[in-house]
Parts: sequence; C-alpha cells; structure tokens
Amino acid sequence: MDFESLSGDLHRLKDLALAEVAKAADPAALDQLQIKYLGKKGEITAVLRGIGALPPHDRPRVGAVANDIGEAVKTALAERGFELRSIVQAQRLAAEMVDVTLPGRTVPRGTLHPIPETVAAIAEVFGQFGFVVYEGPEVEDDLTNFQMLNIALDHPARDLWDTLYVDVPGHLLRTHTSPGQIRVMQSTRPPIRALLPGRCFRYEAVDASHGFEFFQVEGLMVDEGTSMADLKGLLDEFAHALFGPRRTRFRPGYYPFTEPSVAFDVECVVCGGVGCPACSKSGWMTILGAGMVHPVVLQYGGIDPELYQGFAFGMGVERISNLRHAVPDLRYYLENDLRFLEQFR
Amino acid sequence: MRVPLSWLREYVDVQLSPEQLAERLTLLGMEVQGIERWGADWRSVVVGELLTVEKHPYADRLQLTTVTVGSGEPLHIVCGAHNIAPGQRVPVALPGAVLPGDRRIERTEKMGIASEGMLCSGDELHITSDAEGILILPPATALGRDLSELYGDVVLDVDVKPNRGDALCLVGLAREVAAATSATIRWPEIAVEEAGGPVSDHLKVEVREPELCTRFVGRWVSGAKIGPSPDWAQMRLQAAGMRPVSNVVDASNYVMLELGKPTHTFNGAAVHDGTIIVRRATAGERVETLDHVERELTTDTLIIADPRGPIGIAGIMGGFDSEITNATTEIAIESAVFDPVSIRRTGHRYALRSEASLRFEKGQEFRLARIGADRVAQLTLAWAGGALSKGRVDTAPTEPPSARLAFRPARVSRLLGAEISVDEQRSLLRRVGVETEPAPSGARIQVSAAPQPLVVDPGAEQALVAVVPTWRRDLAIEADLAEEIARVRGYETTPAHLPDTLMPAYRPSPLLVREVIRATLAGAGLSEVVTHALVSPLDEARLLWPEDESEPALPASLAAQTGDEIAVTNPLSVEHSVLRRHLAASLLDVLSLNERQGRPDVAIFEIGKRYARVDGRPREWTRLAVLLTGAAEPAAWNRAARPYDLDDAKGVLELLYRRVGMPEPSYVPDPRGFPFHPGRALLARAESGGEAVAGRVAELHPDAVAAWDLRAQRVIVAEVAIAGLDVAGPMRVHVEPIPRFPEVERDLAVIVAESRSAVEVRRTIERHGGVLLRRVRLFDLYRGAPLAAGEKSLAYRLVLGARDRTLTEAEVEGAIEAARKGLQKELGAHLRT
Repeated sequence: MDFESLSGDLHRLKDLALAEVAKAADPAALDQLQIKYLGKKGEITAVLRGIGALPPHDRPRVGAVANDIGEAVKTALAERGFELRSIVQAQRLAAEMVDVTLPGRTVPRGTLHPIPETVAAIAEVFGQFGFVVYEGPEVEDDLTNFQMLNIALDHPARDLWDTLYVDVPGHLLRTHTSPGQIRVMQSTRPPIRALLPGRCFRYEAVDASHGFEFFQVEGLMVDEGTSMADLKGLLDEFAHALFGPRRTRFRPGYYPFTEPSVAFDVECVVCGGVGCPACSKSGWMTILGAGMVHPVVLQYGGIDPELYQGFAFGMGVERISNLRHAVPDLRYYLENDLRFLEQFR
Repeated sequence: MRVPLSWLREYVDVQLSPEQLAERLTLLGMEVQGIERWGADWRSVVVGELLTVEKHPYADRLQLTTVTVGSGEPLHIVCGAHNIAPGQRVPVALPGAVLPGDRRIERTEKMGIASEGMLCSGDELHITSDAEGILILPPATALGRDLSELYGDVVLDVDVKPNRGDALCLVGLAREVAAATSATIRWPEIAVEEAGGPVSDHLKVEVREPELCTRFVGRWVSGAKIGPSPDWAQMRLQAAGMRPVSNVVDASNYVMLELGKPTHTFNGAAVHDGTIIVRRATAGERVETLDHVERELTTDTLIIADPRGPIGIAGIMGGFDSEITNATTEIAIESAVFDPVSIRRTGHRYALRSEASLRFEKGQEFRLARIGADRVAQLTLAWAGGALSKGRVDTAPTEPPSARLAFRPARVSRLLGAEISVDEQRSLLRRVGVETEPAPSGARIQVSAAPQPLVVDPGAEQALVAVVPTWRRDLAIEADLAEEIARVRGYETTPAHLPDTLMPAYRPSPLLVREVIRATLAGAGLSEVVTHALVSPLDEARLLWPEDESEPALPASLAAQTGDEIAVTNPLSVEHSVLRRHLAASLLDVLSLNERQGRPDVAIFEIGKRYARVDGRPREWTRLAVLLTGAAEPAAWNRAARPYDLDDAKGVLELLYRRVGMPEPSYVPDPRGFPFHPGRALLARAESGGEAVAGRVAELHPDAVAAWDLRAQRVIVAEVAIAGLDVAGPMRVHVEPIPRFPEVERDLAVIVAESRSAVEVRRTIERHGGVLLRRVRLFDLYRGAPLAAGEKSLAYRLVLGARDRTLTEAEVEGAIEAARKGLQKELGAHLRT
C-alpha cells in the first residue's frame, strides 16, 4: 500500500459517495449513506484504517486528503439533506393549503340588553360628576311613593300616575323612581349626588308607546347652593354625551315634588330641529323632567330647606334608548325576541 | 284644553302667528300639543244668497232654490231643509266641493230635477249641531267668499297642568298670552238686567254640608224659551270640543269654557217647592243622572236635592228629572264651590268624570261663584229671553281678599342660580297679575305649606310681599313665586354651569357586580334579557319552582308566610297579576316566544328581582337566572353541533364565581324531581368571608318542558342569589409568590361505586393529601370494561410542591399513598396504576 493508491481509493470513494448522495431520494437514504461512508464501519473510515501501513512521512498527507474528502462528503450530505427537507416541507405546505376565504370558527358571543346598557351609559356620565348609585324598593309604600313627594291622597296630580296596587296593606308598585329621593335623603346627609335607576309600574294598557312596566333613572343633588343653573349645566353635559352636540332647552313643567319644575328638551334627533312627525313638528324632543326639590320633600327627607336646596330629575330609560337606537316599538324591550336583542352587538 | 283662537282674541290681542303663539305658550309652561286648522276640510264652500225658494214638483220634502254666489249664473239647487227663505245668506257647496269626512259634492239629479251643488247645515260643516236646518249666515256676510276664510279657525290643544285649574278656560289662557306678550286682557263685560221679582219668591237654598259646599250662588230666570243658541256660540262650543245642546245648557257650558266656572241649570219647575238642599245622600237613595243611568247613592256622596229627594250629584252630573227640556220656562242656575277632594272621590266612586268635575277637582276661585252665576244669567237672557229675578241666593257672600305672600328676592336668585334684580322680579311678577310691595316689618316667609308648614323670619334679607290674584290658588310658598319669575323671564336666560360644590363620599355602586356578571356572561355566549316582573299566577303554579333554601330561615311561627305571593289588586290582565317569586318562568316565556320565531337555540340570562311577602312585609331579592337550550355550538362547515347540557350551565356558574372572586362552588344533588330532572338537579354553594352564595342548576323535567308547550329536548336552568357576590370589595386578590421550586404532578385513577359522587372523591383526596398537595383536577371519567358494572373510574391529576425545597420522591410517594389509603378506607375505592 502506498500513498498514491490509497489516495486514489479515497478519490474514487469520494466520487462514488457524492454521486450516491446526489441521487438520494429521502432523508432516510441520506442516513444510510452517512453510515455507509462515514460510520464507524464506513468505507472511508475503513480506508483511513489502512493508514498505519504507510510510511510515517506519508501518513499526514493521506490524513489531510482523507479529512478533505470526509468533509466534502459530509457537506454534500448536509446540503442534500437540507434540499430534501425543503422539498418535503414544500410538499407538506402545498398539501395543507386551505381556502382562506372560508369564515372563521365562531366564538360564541352574547348580547347585552339595551335597558341595562342605557342605565349604565347614564350612570357613567353622571358618575363622572360624582353621582353615586342607590336603589330603592319596587314594592313601595304609599307614603314614600306619593305623600312624602307632596302628592296627597286626593291630589288631582295623582291622575298623572295610574297606579297598580298590591295586596300588602299601604303598599303599591312604585309609579316612578322618585320615592328614592326620600330614601336617599333619609339615609345620608348633604352633599348628596345620587342616581337611582330601577323598574317602575303603572296601570297602563300596552301599545307601541306605553307599557305597564318600564324603567327610570332618578337623579338628586342637594347641597347648600345647588341651583337651577347647576341642573342646566349638568343636563347639557348629559345630553351632549348621549346625543352629541345638539341644542337643548328648559321649559316650565309641573311635578308636585319640584318647584320650580321644568321639562328638558333636546333638538329632535330625527330632523335636527326643523320639525318632523317624530317630534310633532316642534323640532324638540322631551327627554326628562326635572326641577328644584320642593321644600316639603326636603323636610320629609329630614333636610332643612333653609340650609339646603337641590334639584332632582327623572327620565325614562326606554325613551332615551328609543332616541339613541331608533327603536320603533316599546314592546320590543320586554318581549326579548332574539332578532331584536342580537342587533345590540 | 281646546282653544279656538277666534274666541281667545275676544279677551286678548294676538299679533303672533299660531305657531309663534304655540311656541310662546309652551315656553311659558302651557304646552301646546297640537295646532288644528278648523275649516281646513272645507273646499269650495262659499257664501250664497237665496233668490227663490219653491216647492219641488214631485217631492213634498224637497224645495227648489236658486242661489247666487255673486258671480256667474244663479245656481239651481234642490234642498231638503225648510228654514230657508229668499234673501238669506247661506253656505253653498259648489259642484266639486269637499265637506268634513271627505264628503264630495257633485252635480246630481234629485227626483228628476238637476241640483248644482248643496246648501249646507251647520252639522254638515261640523260647526254647529243643527242637522235639520241650513246654516243661516248674518245678512252682511260677503257674497262669494270662501267660507273657510270667514269661519275657519285655528284651535290650539293646550296641556294645562293639574296645578293650574285657573287656566282651564279661555280667560285663563288669555291671561297667560298676556303674560307672554305683554298685551292687556279684556275681561268679558258682565251686566244683567233684573226684570223679575225677588229671587226669594222662587228659590231657597239650604246647605247642610258647609265644609263640602263652601258657597252656593243661585239665580232664577222665568219665562225663558228653550231653543238653539246662536250659531256663533254653537261654533265656539263645537270648536272647543263641546257639543251644543240648547240655549240654556249652552250658556252654562259657554261660561265653563270662558271663565272656568262650572255651573248647572235646572228646570226650575222640577225643583219641588223651589227649595234646593245640599246634603249627603241617605242610605238607599237613588237618582237617575243625565246620562240615563240610575245610580244608587252612598252616604258620603254630596247631592243636590229638593225636599222630595236627589236632583243631581253635586259637581259631577245633574239629574234627569230636572233636566232642561224644550218645555222648560223656569230656569234655576246653580253656581257653587265644592270641596275638591269630595268631588274627586265621588267621581271615582261612580266612574263619572265630567268637564265640570275635572274643574271642581282642581279647586275653584271663590268669587267666580258669583261672577259665573251672573254670566250664565246674562247669556240665558240673551239667548233664551225671560226675566231674571232680582238678586242672588248666596250662602257665603263674603269674598276673601287676595292672599299676601312674602318672599326674598335674593332667595329666588339663589334657587335659580341667576342674579335677578329686585326690580326685574317685581316687573316679571306683574306680568302674571302679581303685584308686589315692600314687606312690612315682622313679615314672615312661607318656605313650605301644609302638611309640613315652615315659616321663617327673613332676618336681614330684603323681603317683598306679593299680592296673589284670587285665581292663582297654586301660589302658596316662596318657591312658587320663584317659578313664576323663572317662567315669565324664560329659562333660556338661566345660566348653565357645572356644580363646583363638595362631592359626596365614595360609595360602591350596586351596578358594579352586575356589570361584571353581564360582561362575563355575554362573553361566554349568553344574551341578556329583561322580562316582566308581573307574571301569571298560573305560570307560578305550573312550574312549582321550589322555595328558596338560600334565604335566611325564619322562625317556625312565620314559616307559613314564607314567600307568599304578592298579588296586584287592580291588574290589567291575569297574565300580569302577581309579582314573580322566581325568574325561571320568565325565561321559559322568552324561550317559547323565540321557538315560535324559529329560533330554538337559546342561551339567555337575566339579572332581575324576585319578590315575596315575608312576615306580612314585601321583600325583594336580586337574582341571576340562566337558561340554556338547543345547540351550544351550532353546526358549521368546520364543526358538528353540540347541544347544551347541565355541564354548560355549571361551567357558566364556575366561570362567574371565579370572575367575582368566589371559591369554586360545591355541588349537592337535588333529587326532588318535578320541576327538575331527578338525576340532573343540584344546589351550588360557595362561601367566602363568611358569606354564602347559593344557587341552583337543573335540567327541567320533561313534564315541565311539556307544560310550557316547548319543542326543546332539554332545557337547563340556573338561578343564583347574587346579593352575596361582591367584586367591589377592596384588596380581593392576594398574590401568592410564584413557587421557586418545581412542582410534581402525579395521576391517580380512583375506582369507586357509581353511588359515590365526584365531590366526595375529591374532598377525600384533599383531606388526606396533606400540606404538600396544591391542586387536584379531574381529567377523566371512565365506565366499562375492565371495570365491573356499577363502577366508575375517576382520574385525577395531583399537583404537589413545597415553598422551600424540591420534593423528594419519598415525600411525593408519601402524600399519594396517604390519599390512596384515605380513599380506600373511606370510600372503599380501589386504585388503578
């Protein structure tokens, strides 16, 4: 064995190996070739074992050639391996193609009812001005629902509230959230800024614009100098928050529990104030009633009307929601047809 | 209140257009809710003059007329009325004319004679009630003029608020117009000629209830002739919404609309002995009222009687027997003031409310009793003739002076938040007839009136005294004057600014927990509903929802009253006549409605109240109710459908508890059966910080589903008391340091008898696992070979760890072994490895 023949063997092996690597069809074949040429019992390894038979001065030369050839085969294996993996991956990806225009997997998502949503929207606005939420009972006593609100038993204004009575003596289904004013005043001291949302009841036949159950939000603010100007400023902020930049107006109203009393109008959300059927051609829509708390009501609340004054307001939640969402029929709210509810996404 | 502008102009000049006037009145507090054009439905109706009137050759009932309308050839018109004569001016509907009710007039032939139009009666034009005769116009009426130009009117519909009874009349609204426009008001001229003998010859009045009838003014007219009232008066009544009846009755109604003073006219001959007695009815007394209804009277009813018995219900409706008829010649006029409360109660008792009683209920100006009596007498004489007896019968002739109300202008400014000078306040009040003067020393301020009167000394503050006109009975306290000043000044002048005073202390909102629950459940795919609190008692009975174990226990003596139904005593319908004691039936109704709309997949929740009477008192609890049925995941191109089952509802509950910071609920089976599936019902309970939150989850019994006529296969319902849930509590989450040493996981498969519940197995593992056991999670449930029948295998993953070290194999094995032994000993479990 001499250097020439050994080197020749190695070069032949190299050519053979590179040819086989180039022909290998899959990574498994490459693994086989790796073992065949470079494994412990591989052919190149076997050639290198013969190195001991060479004269000592040839050994480094053959070693260098063998190393070069080994590296060359290794590189070829790696390159071919990369190539083959790329092909396989490309095939897999091609096979995995989907129609990306198909709809996604639906994540179930419920809807929130417009009444509590509207209450939350109202509470959010007034909450920013320090109003805190209270709640009163729905089965209320006559005293708190009427008499303490300056509506005596035979007051003609009782006609404004057609009442549903219950078989609990002295009780009725509250006709408005206003009795909450009394309850708040009796339970806390000024400064008071309170918001009272809740369900109310009236003896009223059901049609597109009436119902015997409905929701209101009452507001109450009492402090030393709380005035009509404060009320006007707050209600303007409220109207702008819920209905956008629209004109508003106060006009005189009547409630036994406020003096002076006002109605608060917002420029018609349908016609923008020119006049249309929705606003009875007036250009205005009334969104709530308000006024300065009547001194008698303050007294029933345990507050001295000489030291304190305040305002109260009350609004129908459905009314606000109707105007914001163009709901055509009050019955939609308590019917809960999913075709209505699902529009509030 | 309907206000014909032509009538209103009698008392005040109006320069504004109807729209402008409506706006001004509305901004003054007299809300105009509609503007009606009177006569807008007449087209091509003009004034004509009758030239000839002859009998129709072939029909006795008909007449042939020729009429000129000022231009063109005379028209030949056939007419059925008999009150016509040549020279009269009459309304002529030309061919092509349109009358109220969209009645079209064309050229026709009547009994062989052509008719070129129609002569109109007041009834056909809807301006008087006379349907028999043609409306005869004043002789000076311009020929050929369009009738709507002459007789058309604008009628405002004004919403007069209950405190302003004084404005329920033309004069009252004229005062408001005057206040709005600074015009002056013209009071109708009231003067009567008393040609008869003394009234006492005819009429005696005895008021036995002076509290209920504070004043009774009587007048007497003899020799009146009953007939129609003048056309102009009929037109006014008609436009104001009252049907003309006869001259005397119309006079009374006219005065009510003009002055706001209800009066009554009796056939004087039917008043026995000329004696009117105002008293309460006695038991068993009856009266037939003008509406031909015979009414049995209760003893608290105030009546007008003669010595023989009742002839009317005071202030509400007269009696039929003393009604004015065509034969009546003697007229007794009643102009009284009755107690508003008594009138109101009586009206309610007999379900009888009239224009008169509506005005009496709001209270009456005392002096109007006298003025009203004179005005009715004046109009009666003018329209029906006769002679007025001298003097009035008057049971309380002394008329109280104007009330004087002291107020502080500075306080008015403070209430309104606007600095309004004293002078301006005085001139604003003058516009509504309130004169002011400096307050005498010692004047006291009426801050509030009965039932909580508060009168204070103005101290150093400047005070004025307002002299309140007698008709403004609503002005009683200082704040009332503030309102007058504000409304006359106009609220557009009130400044608007945000409050700059102290804020109240923090208070957690009760809405907060609900907002969290709502957002969580909507995120989990459930839709929120809001249903009626008033339900049918049949629904309650049909579902037999169990009493609530979560409410605090009551003493045995009260147990019978636990959760009694609260019923409405005047319900609108039986469907909504009781307050619900649970929410489930309401959700079933929602399901039912949506099923009928072809929407069988329903996942809904409601946060609402349930109500019951406990210990005789009403109580309310806020609850969360959930209903799941149909497909949890509807079939899609990439997924098969999966129906809702009990585990979905439990999952929702677990999610919720986790979200609000409650520990996971523990479940106790509820095998009661109807309305629940006996094997698929449970009570869920979680405790945190001493507060327990209880709920119920169940699949409905098939019979309950059937009772609701539902098509759904399975309906899962849940109801949870949410009072105890509190997300707002401060510092709810306490962070555990992240473990520095690795945790070890071990799986444990526990084979137990079917009768053993999962919660028992889990509790046993937790009890015996020791301090190293951190978490236990069920990950598999298996039945079948190789297990014996009646056995199941529950596979748990146990996570163990210690805070200060990595556990040794021996420690882990020790803990697992302890759990194993506990399971074997307590539950007879065996374990697969």
